Amino acid sequence: MKRDDNHDGAIVDGEIEVRLQVNGASRRGRAEPRMLLADFLRQELVLTGTHLGCEHGVCGACTVLVDGAPVRSCLMLAVQAQGADVTTVEGLANGELHPLQQAFNEKHGLQCGFCTPGMLLSAAVLLEENPAPSSEEIREHLSGNICRCTGYVGIVEAVQAAAQAGGGAEASVATTPAAAS
Amino acid sequence: MVAEGDRTVCGRPALAVVGQAALLSLGHLPDPLGAGCSALTRSALLFLVKPSRFNYARPTSVEEVIGLLAAHGDDAKVLAGGQSLMPLMNARLARPELVVDINAVAGLGDIEVNGALRIGSVVRQRTIERSADAARIAPIIAAGLRYVGHVGIRSRGTVGGSIAHADPAAELPAIALALDARMAVSGPGGQRTVAAEDFFEGLFATAVSADELLTAVEVPRPPAAARSGFVEIARRHGDFALAGVAVSFEYVDGAVRSARIACSGVADRPLLATAAQDFLQQEDANDPRTFAEAGRRAAAQFDPPSDIHAPGSYRKQVIAVLVERALKAAIEGSDGADEARR
Amino acid sequence: MAAEPMTVRSPQYVGARVLRVEDKKYLLGRGRYLDDVVLPAMAHAAFVRSPHAHALIKRVDVSAAKALEGVVAVLTGEELAELGSAFVTELQRPDVLSVTKPLLATDKVRHVGEAVAIVIAESRYLAEDGCDLVEIEWELLPAVVDAEEAISGDAPQLHDDVPNNNVAHIEFATDGVDAAFAAADHVFGKRFHCGRSHAAPLETRGVVADFDLGTEQLTMWSSTQLPHFLRTLIAPHLGLSEGDITVIAPDVGGGFGLKAHVFVEEAIIPLVARRVGRPVKWVEDRIEHLAASGHAKEIVMDVEIAVSDDGRFQAFRGRYIGDGGAYSGFPWSCLIDPLPAASLLPSLYDVRELGYTVDSALTNKCQTTAYRGPGMHPGHLARETLIEDIARKLKIDPVALRVKNCISSEPYVTANDMHYDGGSYIESIELAQELVDYAGFRREQLAAREQGRYIGIGFSPFVEAGTWGSEGARALGFPAEFYDTASVTMEPDGTVTVTTGTFSHGQGHHTSLAQVAADRLGVRLESVRVVDGDTSKATWGAGTYASRTATVAGGSIILAATDVRDKLLRIAAQMLEVSPDDIELYDGHATVTGVPEKTLPIATLAGIGYFGGPLRPEGQEHTLSATRYYDAPETYSNGVVVVIVEVDIETGAVELQRVVAVEDCGTMLNPMIVDGQVHGAIAQGIGGALYEEMVYDDAGQLLSGTLADFLYPSSMEIPSIEVSHLTTPSPTTEGGMKGMGEGGTIAAPAAVVNAITDALAPFEPEINHTPVRPSDVLALVARGPAQRTPKP
Repeated sequence: MKRDDNHDGAIVDGEIEVRLQVNGASRRGRAEPRMLLADFLRQELVLTGTHLGCEHGVCGACTVLVDGAPVRSCLMLAVQAQGADVTTVEGLANGELHPLQQAFNEKHGLQCGFCTPGMLLSAAVLLEENPAPSSEEIREHLSGNICRCTGYVGIVEAVQAAAQAGGGAEASVATTPAAAS
Repeated sequence: MVAEGDRTVCGRPALAVVGQAALLSLGHLPDPLGAGCSALTRSALLFLVKPSRFNYARPTSVEEVIGLLAAHGDDAKVLAGGQSLMPLMNARLARPELVVDINAVAGLGDIEVNGALRIGSVVRQRTIERSADAARIAPIIAAGLRYVGHVGIRSRGTVGGSIAHADPAAELPAIALALDARMAVSGPGGQRTVAAEDFFEGLFATAVSADELLTAVEVPRPPAAARSGFVEIARRHGDFALAGVAVSFEYVDGAVRSARIACSGVADRPLLATAAQDFLQQEDANDPRTFAEAGRRAAAQFDPPSDIHAPGSYRKQVIAVLVERALKAAIEGSDGADEARR
Repeated sequence: MAAEPMTVRSPQYVGARVLRVEDKKYLLGRGRYLDDVVLPAMAHAAFVRSPHAHALIKRVDVSAAKALEGVVAVLTGEELAELGSAFVTELQRPDVLSVTKPLLATDKVRHVGEAVAIVIAESRYLAEDGCDLVEIEWELLPAVVDAEEAISGDAPQLHDDVPNNNVAHIEFATDGVDAAFAAADHVFGKRFHCGRSHAAPLETRGVVADFDLGTEQLTMWSSTQLPHFLRTLIAPHLGLSEGDITVIAPDVGGGFGLKAHVFVEEAIIPLVARRVGRPVKWVEDRIEHLAASGHAKEIVMDVEIAVSDDGRFQAFRGRYIGDGGAYSGFPWSCLIDPLPAASLLPSLYDVRELGYTVDSALTNKCQTTAYRGPGMHPGHLARETLIEDIARKLKIDPVALRVKNCISSEPYVTANDMHYDGGSYIESIELAQELVDYAGFRREQLAAREQGRYIGIGFSPFVEAGTWGSEGARALGFPAEFYDTASVTMEPDGTVTVTTGTFSHGQGHHTSLAQVAADRLGVRLESVRVVDGDTSKATWGAGTYASRTATVAGGSIILAATDVRDKLLRIAAQMLEVSPDDIELYDGHATVTGVPEKTLPIATLAGIGYFGGPLRPEGQEHTLSATRYYDAPETYSNGVVVVIVEVDIETGAVELQRVVAVEDCGTMLNPMIVDGQVHGAIAQGIGGALYEEMVYDDAGQLLSGTLADFLYPSSMEIPSIEVSHLTTPSPTTEGGMKGMGEGGTIAAPAAVVNAITDALAPFEPEINHTPVRPSDVLALVARGPAQRTPKP
């Protein structure tokens, strides 16, 4: 039985259309059930800012926000994102750089840039939950995002600087269509 | 070691090696084959990272889930938060023909307080970690969840998923055991509840049968004088513990009563340190030697396994320290975590 | 040659904390990494790899895989061997044997993860489906996983043409070393086993190949550190000329030395693309990466020091047995670890009698490749932990013992003929002592012990052999020519294009090298663009590794920019009617010194350089461009890493409380980037000291083949890192720069281990293996003579 949508209870046994909000815009693409959300974003929607570093849920490079929560997009199926509201790194800047992006530049919070998208999105969630985190809170919150280049020094400083610049309260992440439009 | 000239045909070598252990996870606990590393690593011999083909269903009721499981048997796999199952599917160690996604099932995402705390099985770990109800009724849950992976894992991972997965080094199964939680299980024959002590049957094995679904975890209302504490030691923050201890007891007039001391990383499932519990029931908790002796008695009960991260002798030695520290943390009301560091 | 001042005024950019110009694309998610390369009609590859450590391949059945819908082609080792030639790694020295690696295994596999067949399909998912269907019949062979055992004469042989599995036996000794040991008051020694490590950049390897059947030209993208060198080395294996190959290194998500090699997959994918007539992409997955790219740094070391009663080091002796794995990494060989480990044995100590032997074993493990501080990190661990043990046994303060034996700040020639160019060897140790309040710490330590707390401090002063010019490479035992080239072109509008054969993959060269060019030409930084990573756009060069770019690329840019600068000065002199010597180029203007109103925009001079006709000085060629090469002389940075730990003697947990680094890399191009390099290098050193290890069981099965078991340190394991700088410019390099990317990784592991040793001093611990796990710590406590202090 092929279905256009993974309606409740029906068994999907082939490619279906997945419709979702990404960075505030309605998007759609084709996915068979086994396609990982990360591959769907990268290949179907050509949002290649989401990186794959391990595909077993450890490194955090593929972190995106699904309905505002940080998730590893290598551990989620594209079909599970049906109707969801997804934010990728491409949705972080809103005309100008997000305070976190600005701070990562100013505090040398990136070198090769591969972990940076996931790191930014995890940090954005932290600042929404806790606008003035201590360095210990930052470290604990970001512990699921591995960086091999920086030793985390510049990253922690950047998140602190972004918090001081109001990166949490004023520059909300585009987790809802309204916020992104 | 292999003997010279030993011939073998291996089309799917990893499966041949791992066989029925296809329930394994990112856990660091040694698998039953004595691999000495996580099961995921053991399975990784295929060098593959994209799941094999499967069909997918997203039912909205428990009845539908049970129906699908009944129809597909062992070929179906329940997908909750996916933080344990998905790595196995990506590495093609788990190859279900049907994935039954329970994230849309009505009611499974609810937290109810009715004296007891009832946590639906797809409640996200991050949600319960930040729940005021949970903090009031069972603060040990949040204390322990801090060590469950990382925020990005907990915001997708579920309470029920972790408990049903039953990794012997995981935090939530040990906490459930310490809290004397009861698991609500639905199946073709209706609903039943299983006490934590009966729930964890072995390595990644629980009392939930292939046609059943864990629907909720019920934490009983704590007595007025309830105390609890959680400590663990891991190679890194967020890793499965080398060993961990969750304690829960009543603290009345300087006495520890009805203690439940649940230990992780000590066997193929979380276990209660019954000898230590019995000892505490008799002793004066004001004597600093009491908790140390409880730790020694706990350690004496176990023969933990070894892996590349620690020998079993280490786990045995450190479980004594962790029991002592968890008891102290519970009485002092301190964050068990800080206590574990010193 | 002496370094002349880079500008008349103090430099506008060099030495300044200039924010990186390359950041924006990464921050926006617009970086273009290997996996982001998508071509029309592109197919996807996946490899079938060996699950066995050592086995004969009796039969490979690909029929089911070939029959699968969506599979384009399946090729075995024998088929690949017809398309291209095997890799032969040979160092240009007679005492090192060559080792051959087939593109895909044909008759036999030698480690878990060795590629046996390749499946090309319409998607990666389908390619993996195809891999699943390939059946292989094996005949298992006994495996050898211990380096000493491998070369003992009794072990299974990996390669018929490498007797005793030993790729090289190298010896060095000064005439008097044995006599010095015989006559010494004390001889101390220890065996240290540095665990098998892995660079494990966050982006794995990957290749995209597009062979144009019409032009018979190949364009290949590879996640590499050395695009030009890759082209030079790969062309013979593809049967193509270099002129028919374009290699593009896109954005690269870290390399740390691992990607400074050429891998069989970089030959296989182009060959297969040509065969199937479509572009082919292969993105290495993490599991392949951990099992089958390159491991590093596993050396068994026996180090001895002859010491006088008053604590003078009189002679050093070392025996180094590297565990190279199954093949000799191409092109540097499996000597990449044990040889630098031995060569840098003297480090910053004034020792005239020196001896060492090096063996390079082949075992049934993944081949070894360079990883930040190759060999130097393990070698440093063995020596510095031994010095720590000696200090304790002689009851001399470990820092004082080091200072007592340290060379002076002047240039120094070691007993094995390494030419140090001077540094702040003692000064950096003294600064580090001040920064951590060493005396105060000792008081605090005693007070803590009274309370049953065990805190410790570890000093690890280092010399880093960076830069890898011809002389520097020779000094470490790798005789060949290594230099780099740069072109500097001022365009007609006055903007500047710099091309370099080095390649930035996270180090911020598009900023730091632009700073060099901008200062030399007196233009604003925004006017300078650095181009690298594409053999069709940038000048030839050997790539970025071995901390070489600031020095060799910086030097070649200085030389090329000076040529262009001279042309500009002549034009300006003619226009402003003064001597070229009286012109200052600064901030986009040419100005007569002391006469600010006599000034011209450099852009105007550029226009004249191209189209100025008679305004151009007589005899001056059109355009403003120069290409120069630079082969840096030997140069060595230095510094100290200090670590303070608290050890929980009940659980074995080690908490890093403070990490302090003093770095001296001569002229700093950009202190922010230098700091970032120090931070990252130290973090990797901490990883090696406490967490990361590639572990095999006795049968050669890999037990740390996923990130669940190979443990990267996270933000919770790495504390804040405090960095201070001293500046001793190199008297020999252009600009005074010294290579500095690896010192932290070289030094931090010994600092951590020494801090643990110091914290546990009452137990008289001797640590001789990394990583140090909590269980190792408890074992030290249990072995020690001290009574466990009851907790208060």
